[in-house]
Amino acid sequence: MRTFEYLKPASVNKALALLDLYGDQAKLIAGGTDVMVQWKKRIISPQVLISLRNLAELSFIKFGGGLEIGAGTTHRALELSPEIREHFPVIHDAVSNLGSVQVRNSGTIGGNICNAAPSADTAPPLLVLDTNVRIASTKGERTVAIRDFFRGPSRTVLQTGELVTLFSIPAPLPRTGMAYSKHTRRKAMDLPIVGVAVLLSFEEDLKTCRKAAIALGVAAPTPMRAANAEAFLAGKPVDKTTLLEAGKIASEEASPRTTIRGSAWYRKEIIRVLVRRTGLICMERAKGAARS
Amino acid sequence: MKNKDKPPELQPFFDKNIAGDVVPSIGISMPRIDAYAKVTGRERYAADYYGFDMIWAGVKRAGIPHARLKSVNTQAAENLPGVIAVLTHKNISGSNRQGVIRKDQPVLVDDKVRHCGDAVALVLAEDKETLAKAIKLTSADFEPLPGVFTTETALEENAPLVHEDHPGGNVLLKASLEIGSVQSAKEHCDVLVEACFETPLVEHAYLETEAGWAQLKEDGKLEIVASTQTPFRDRMEVADALGLEPERIRMIAPYAGGAFGGKDGVTVQSLLGLAALHANGRPVKMWWSREESFIAGTKRHAARMYYRLGAKADGSLHSLDTRLYFDTGPYDHLGGVVITLALEHSGGPYRIPNVSFKGWAVYTNNPIGGAFRGFGVAQVTAAMEQMMDMLAEKLAMDPLKLRLKNAVRKGDKNCVGVTLTHSTGLVECLEAVARHPLWTERAAWKSKAGPFKRRGAGIVALMHASGYGPVVPDVANAKVELTAEGKIKVYCGVVDMGQGNAATNLQIAGSILCQNVDRIELILPDTDRTLPSGSASASRCTYTFGNALIGACETLKLRILQRAADLLMVDDCDETALIPGAVRHLPTGREIPLHRLATFMNESERTATQRFRAPTAKEIPPVGNEIRLHGFPHTLFSYGAHLVRVEVNELTGVVDVKRYLSVSDCGKIINPHVYEQQIQGAIAQGIGYALSEEVQVNEGKVLTADLATFIIPAASDVPEIESQPVEIYEPSGPYGLKGVGEIATNGPLPAIANAVADACGVRIFRSPLTPSRVLRALRERLSEGGVH
Repeated sequence: MRTFEYLKPASVNKALALLDLYGDQAKLIAGGTDVMVQWKKRIISPQVLISLRNLAELSFIKFGGGLEIGAGTTHRALELSPEIREHFPVIHDAVSNLGSVQVRNSGTIGGNICNAAPSADTAPPLLVLDTNVRIASTKGERTVAIRDFFRGPSRTVLQTGELVTLFSIPAPLPRTGMAYSKHTRRKAMDLPIVGVAVLLSFEEDLKTCRKAAIALGVAAPTPMRAANAEAFLAGKPVDKTTLLEAGKIASEEASPRTTIRGSAWYRKEIIRVLVRRTGLICMERAKGAARS
Repeated sequence: MKNKDKPPELQPFFDKNIAGDVVPSIGISMPRIDAYAKVTGRERYAADYYGFDMIWAGVKRAGIPHARLKSVNTQAAENLPGVIAVLTHKNISGSNRQGVIRKDQPVLVDDKVRHCGDAVALVLAEDKETLAKAIKLTSADFEPLPGVFTTETALEENAPLVHEDHPGGNVLLKASLEIGSVQSAKEHCDVLVEACFETPLVEHAYLETEAGWAQLKEDGKLEIVASTQTPFRDRMEVADALGLEPERIRMIAPYAGGAFGGKDGVTVQSLLGLAALHANGRPVKMWWSREESFIAGTKRHAARMYYRLGAKADGSLHSLDTRLYFDTGPYDHLGGVVITLALEHSGGPYRIPNVSFKGWAVYTNNPIGGAFRGFGVAQVTAAMEQMMDMLAEKLAMDPLKLRLKNAVRKGDKNCVGVTLTHSTGLVECLEAVARHPLWTERAAWKSKAGPFKRRGAGIVALMHASGYGPVVPDVANAKVELTAEGKIKVYCGVVDMGQGNAATNLQIAGSILCQNVDRIELILPDTDRTLPSGSASASRCTYTFGNALIGACETLKLRILQRAADLLMVDDCDETALIPGAVRHLPTGREIPLHRLATFMNESERTATQRFRAPTAKEIPPVGNEIRLHGFPHTLFSYGAHLVRVEVNELTGVVDVKRYLSVSDCGKIINPHVYEQQIQGAIAQGIGYALSEEVQVNEGKVLTADLATFIIPAASDVPEIESQPVEIYEPSGPYGLKGVGEIATNGPLPAIANAVADACGVRIFRSPLTPSRVLRALRERLSEGGVH
């Protein structure tokens, strides 16, 4: 009979000890919205599931200019956080149209990132926010920049015995606008065909780009930053024309696949459109942030 | 403290009836009797049964599209602890063939596998986990055969045959009809339009996948509870396939959790029956997973349709030539009936003097094409209504005026030669659309499209036949009882698969017998308790059963009043009236409670039955008997006209449906609330068909076997829908009603396609109109330099 042992440690340290004990036979589970689907489809067959569900030390949102998010924080908790909505709307955009409310109440941001799907909605926002990922094991802690975290579809830098505890996000520069857009085949309950996060920080003129960050989902084997497009925008006045050009460059950097969800040429088209559209939202938001 | 061992007792649902203590009337909106139990999770669907000592049954699917079966290896599974039996075709003593017209589908494969979803072995196990493992351990040796995966290749000279024994080769049924002559169309028509349309294979995607349970009772009776539209027909099919006497089988059909045609025939029934015969009297349950439902369940036929339509310069239609190729998959799951109904509707609701219609239902090794709300009409309407817009464009004529000019009216012959003797409200529907601000003010609305957006409006005219046609009797038998306790029992012979006809039955009985909702109990279809009344399909349920039920209720009413008159010692039962719970003598005010009256009547007196057979067309159009047997032609039609406003994003190709208007002639309405639900649900389903739903198949293998890849609309994808009835009294209908179950689902695809063409000058001949298809078409138009 196909079964697994379900262990529910009371702390992160106990979870790490169990991870050491079971090694590759164990799989971590938080909300279970990915793990249980993979288990049912027999993609994974771990002997032990170590649950991180409802661990208080993993579930928190700490705002103080920058942001710290516990890896076990649910999408719904992020969606309902007024600080995130106001100061990190790119995260709000991503988690408020992810799955259904039920899925958002169950799934966690740590699970979404560690599952390392190219379509993970929270990956592009964390990428443009230059997030640091804190990783714990019984040997201690280490921190990895999110852009170095993904190694391929379903693959990350995590070693056996490690788990992600925290996402640490530096305070954005003043006059920054940030947004995430996704293109889906229906208006709710769908994975992105393409997901695009853009963050633009402006000089005092609110026109010249001081810093640009553009991240793409479903555009490559891993969520990626569009470095060429970012470099193109930096120092330039941001408007519809430069954003259109940035979109073209981002689209050229991308290497999407053709799948039953969408074809490569169409994904490239959508990247162009979404970079521009999302960039325009960033401009609006930066102006709004500057006014308030 | 609560007793934790004992589950809380469920109250019977009518104790909390949201309809309240009211006497139903015809024509008013009443909350559905089934609503409360359904939204609170109390209603028990076939999938909800968990009997004591229950066994799970499951199927080993072939997973290969076309192969000769050499052997099935059951040993490994049989050795697994917890496995009760692994059954193959050798365990079947009947014909091992299922089907409604041509019985060509095995319960368990004996000679050949014909599609990936074919059942090779049936496994019985103590629990679901053991079942899954045992299914995995069961294997089969196949000799793979070359398959046919398109209707074109299936019709080639030396194509591999799906059924070697079928005289028609890979053509399950060819239907054709000629009236007048289309040969000289070029000479006689001022304008000719030609096109080929392709529509996709589509999954019903009901909430409740195929499910049921069965038990061999001590008295030898095989009881099968299933999510089905056709309990009485199932009984005959199961009996034949398993080699049992029909009277040994009892089929019970609870409310179905959606069906849409996918349960118009046997799904789990024969398998469950076979399993129960090998379960030592224990109850056996089967419940297909979503993936299994995608792979093994029936689908709406994919179609390729060639159209040539000719008209005079004034817009009067002169000739129509069509060739329809429907992919019916490997088995006749009503595929012949579907192509026949498609053929009948292929010219739409228009007068066309010269027609040549040809249709082929073609066997392939793809998933099974079958019944799906719309039943072939959805496909041909998609083609014909786009042809009408293309013709209007060529004639530089208003598309609505073109339709009005050619619309059928009462007394006309429709384009398949049938005189329309019943209510025919198409013109009224079209005129209502023509008057509506969504139509008259469309130009101003279109001009306000934002940057990179194009707006358009599209219309369609619709018709949909109801009932079985001339040969197969379209009959219902209603039964109604005054119980010994003085309540009313309505024995519903037609399944309620979610459309609400059971609630309508209650409304009819309550209205005639003047009883409160909570004094009426519905007995859902059950071959032992209710009377044969045909399938829940063909837009016929309330029309046919409702007529029978009115008769039964009137008979019972008269009997009650006469008995009461006798007991009250009055001469004339005209002086008595039914009131809630009693009969009152009006001149004196004396009353007899029904429970008291019932004690004076024996059971046969307290029960009334009535048969009704739907009318048929009396003309004999020039088609063969074979086509008549498959249901051609009909006499009774519902009509409609739809209008949609869309906004197309030029950068992404996304089609946003902004507003929808549906005007329908479905006769008089019994319950506006239920009527509205049918229209809204059908349009939502039609929007999915238009924009996103497509079962993708490669060499017979389903690539989109889940709801994450087969995209049905979410609530936010469905716009505000305005629905107007044109209530024309249909004398043959119950209270003037006609069928409403299917017609509205035929509209959205052509309406949206017409609106997209109106918005940006591109027509996409292959649906669904996915963003990438729309974007590609926009690009191609731009590269041709034809900026609109």
